[in-house]
Amino acid sequence: MNIDYLSLLVVLPILASIFLLILTSRLNGFARAKFDAPVRMAALIISLAMFMLTTLMFLGQIGDVGWSNIAFNTFEFQESYVWIEQLGITWTVGVDGLSFPMVWLTTLLMPITIIATWNEKSGATYFPLMLMLGGALIGVFVALDMFMFYVFWELTLIPMFFMILKWGGKDRKYAAQKFFIYTFTASVVMLLGLLTMYFLMDTQTFNMQEMVVQASGANANGVWLGLEVQKVLFIMLMLGFLVKLPAAPFHTWLPDAHVQAPTGGSMMLAGVMLKMGAYGMFRLPISLFPHALEEFRFIVMMIGLVSLVWGAIVCLGQTNLKKMVAYSSVSHMGVILLGIASMQPLGWAAALFMMFAHGIISPMLFAVCGAFKHHYHSMEIGAMRGMAKHSPWLATSMMFGWMASLGLPLLAGFVAELMLMVAYWHAYGWWIIFPGLVLAITAAYYLWSMQRTIFEGGEATQPPESLHGDPVPDIDNSEKIAMLLLAAFTVLFGIMPWIFLDMMDMWTRSAMAFLGLGGA
Amino acid sequence: MSAQNGFNSDMFEALAPELTLFVGLLLIMIVPNLGNGTFRIPGTSIRLPWFFGGTRYKAVASPRLPGLLAVLTMAVALFQVICYLLDASAADGKVISSENGIEIFKVNMFSRIFEAIFFAALLLAAIASLDRLPTGSQKSDDIDVLFNNRRQADFYILMLTSALGMSVVALAQDMFVLFVGLELASFSTYVLVAFHKETRAGSEGGAKYFIVGSVASAVGLYGLSMLYLWAGSLQFDVLAAKWAADGATSLSMMALGFVLVGFAFKISAAPFHFAAPDAYSGANSPVAGVLATASKAMGMLGLMRVLLLITIPEMDAEGSAIWIGLLGVLAAVTMTWGNIAALGSDNPKRMLAYSSVAHAGYMLAALTAIGAWNWGLVDNAGDAMDVVVAALIFHMFVLVFFKLGAFLILGVLEMEGGASRLSSLAGLGKREPLLAIAMFLFMISLAGVPPMAGFLSKLLVIMGIVEVATGTGSLSSIGDAHWVWWLALLMVINSAISMFYYLRVGVVMYFHEPEEGRKGPLASGASIRIAIALCAIGTVAFGLVGGELIELCRDAAESLR
Repeated sequence: MNIDYLSLLVVLPILASIFLLILTSRLNGFARAKFDAPVRMAALIISLAMFMLTTLMFLGQIGDVGWSNIAFNTFEFQESYVWIEQLGITWTVGVDGLSFPMVWLTTLLMPITIIATWNEKSGATYFPLMLMLGGALIGVFVALDMFMFYVFWELTLIPMFFMILKWGGKDRKYAAQKFFIYTFTASVVMLLGLLTMYFLMDTQTFNMQEMVVQASGANANGVWLGLEVQKVLFIMLMLGFLVKLPAAPFHTWLPDAHVQAPTGGSMMLAGVMLKMGAYGMFRLPISLFPHALEEFRFIVMMIGLVSLVWGAIVCLGQTNLKKMVAYSSVSHMGVILLGIASMQPLGWAAALFMMFAHGIISPMLFAVCGAFKHHYHSMEIGAMRGMAKHSPWLATSMMFGWMASLGLPLLAGFVAELMLMVAYWHAYGWWIIFPGLVLAITAAYYLWSMQRTIFEGGEATQPPESLHGDPVPDIDNSEKIAMLLLAAFTVLFGIMPWIFLDMMDMWTRSAMAFLGLGGA
Repeated sequence: MSAQNGFNSDMFEALAPELTLFVGLLLIMIVPNLGNGTFRIPGTSIRLPWFFGGTRYKAVASPRLPGLLAVLTMAVALFQVICYLLDASAADGKVISSENGIEIFKVNMFSRIFEAIFFAALLLAAIASLDRLPTGSQKSDDIDVLFNNRRQADFYILMLTSALGMSVVALAQDMFVLFVGLELASFSTYVLVAFHKETRAGSEGGAKYFIVGSVASAVGLYGLSMLYLWAGSLQFDVLAAKWAADGATSLSMMALGFVLVGFAFKISAAPFHFAAPDAYSGANSPVAGVLATASKAMGMLGLMRVLLLITIPEMDAEGSAIWIGLLGVLAAVTMTWGNIAALGSDNPKRMLAYSSVAHAGYMLAALTAIGAWNWGLVDNAGDAMDVVVAALIFHMFVLVFFKLGAFLILGVLEMEGGASRLSSLAGLGKREPLLAIAMFLFMISLAGVPPMAGFLSKLLVIMGIVEVATGTGSLSSIGDAHWVWWLALLMVINSAISMFYYLRVGVVMYFHEPEEGRKGPLASGASIRIAIALCAIGTVAFGLVGGELIELCRDAAESLR
């Protein structure tokens, strides 16, 4: 039986979410609250089914794909249907070594996020939005048609906008709008770039695979579309992705969005949505305009370095736990740009693995922040000390997450950072001082924040007044399960990174060879 | 293409939708007046039943009857137009001429698809008006006045006459006929805007709209007289031939400029847009929606006819149309002005009016690109024009759904007592989740977020501009592209700016607490909700599967040439 699994992964959660939203939208107040539990269960079952599906795909039970042998620009599970015939727009899906880890990660995070935010209020609306977000994200990763890619790219904004707006913190109104407008602005510029490119092509196509073939054919004997044009288009496309990533100086939407977003929103935002930017860079501008990348290599490196250093330094000054974690995301995303700019297969693989590892670790950080807020009614570092005594589970999770983010060996983040350092040394030599320095800064702010939350000391040892003297509870069982799962995967991919690193490595090597770049 | 002289059965067949409107018009005038009135033969005491006046029959005294008749008429006319569109091909066309061979009307896909836009907008507005109340807060005795049968009849008669006027504009092959149709439609809309004369906003908006509109019409008429002086005829093909032979002269240029003013007012392009926000906020919402969709499409139609049929350069010649610079500036100013003004308006209707100005700017940008169509692409000159015109038609077609839909949502709020502040929308997400979702869909569609129809239309417009600008496809730098490319860039930047005020509506609906005295679900108005549902379905459906409509628009665009 020939089932189009990838389209199923995209369409199923979106349709389910629309169905659930419409089903409960006519109900008000009390009647609606009764639907929270069944809707949540439905969302969990659907997302678990999706996770099962991608895992079986990976294990070869479905499709029997040799994942570590997928060369650049070949795709598995490829399916194509006509969508808008008159414009040559198709619904084309497929996965390769670049996109599959992201698809798997999305399906992994969806059930974990649902579990971690099990008791979110107005669940009858919240969980369907989570499903819609997941479907749209997978749509971005599997789309092989430029139009489809853009549609899903924008579609991810809508559920996230509502999640921030409805379940967010005090300044959610400002944050939600800022988030939407920043991303939208960048992506319309990207859209104009895509369309300009479309009309400059010899054979006009929206199909990314054909585009890459066409571009590389021309790039082999010269510069596709001419260097000047290639540079302008590269900038226009990169702008869209850099804002999403986000890289300095376009990162200012991220701390606002993160701090105001509900825990589940932050987990998905940091876990997968930021990676859309990095994914898009690899998929479009880098694959299409390698000459422009070579031209702008140093600038990309500088943007990455500024994000890395600036993000880390700003972290040092934060007193808000969630804001600190948000800026640490900016810092880590800078690493991806450094990996790209190293122009080494190893550096690219490091960037890809960074996307993946950060996708597992950062949701854990935000889950910890969410639990902290939930139980101590505050996000201020130092507002509550002695967590190890009151909430040992939370303290342990926090320490684990912080250490993973710091790059402790045997945890997933370490693998990516080590690979990056090696590649960066090869490419830029003594510039390595800066990322090296950042490691020290990172250790500083993480240790500082742990010291002020986990351990006792000072007057803030007592639980905050908003608890009215009640004993401080430890985290809920659902939160425990989610954090355990995330921790388990962090260890798994720290010890056995090759599970996904193999296919990433294959992708980067063949991509570099295909594009005629770097030291391949 | 067959020419037809004089009146005969063929003509009736070709003009079936217009005749339907005409019959409907007569019915609305006659049916509500039927009664048991009698006529006394003079000098005798014999009274003959005369059926007019007296006590009206129960069946025809219903205040809803004129509305139902109008909806029925419009639905039949729309059905006829759609049947024609599905049946016809781009090469079809039927010319209706006078006895001495002067072309008056031409029925082809291009004119018919515009009629479909007009009728769809008016039909939705008529459905929505079936059980609506006036703008502003009204005392209950005023409501009786407004629900009075005769006054309802006036409202729908004006709707039908504006439909008739618009279809005359769509069909016209002669500038003068076009002008007559334009005035018929304009006068109907002037009165419709001022229809709620009891409210201050209604009469103010109506008066402003009337004064500015008639000045624009007068200038246009003056331009027409100069065109006649120049060419000796107002036929499109005669004018086009004369333009091709003589090129631009100062007289013809000036005449053309004056004519354009008339149309620019209709599409509310800057700097002729000043009356629009007042008119929209004074009129009741369905009427404002008609102004923003059908009336605007009519102005755009006029612009296309004049700019594309008369003054476009020869297809195989290099170079661009003479008006390209002027129109480009106008487009840039219009879209930017509209968006910036919309940012600062707290009245949602004024906001929508300015967003309508911005959309006029986008459409003008696309027209500007057509002016550059010969630039570097002699091998496929004409194709680009088809693409851009098709994009414009598609844009105006889908605009009916989300622009009118947004106005209709405000219309629901008006029933509760006004929608003149953004805060009237507050809490809609809790009070009426489905209406709030629909409004949000309309807003993001206006902003051009996929997968809504507004995205597809904006995509098509930008694609048209970029296709023209990139020409034959070999550029050494972006600076070598035609400058209309920068209009596309301005357009996407403007889209981003517009996101601010569209999103604000969503934020207000979901974030703010309802205003004092507004609680719970809104008054039910089944008909307006049906119209909103139709709009929402259209907005999503044409965004997801707009292929067939694009095909239709392309055929229509092809039949313009």
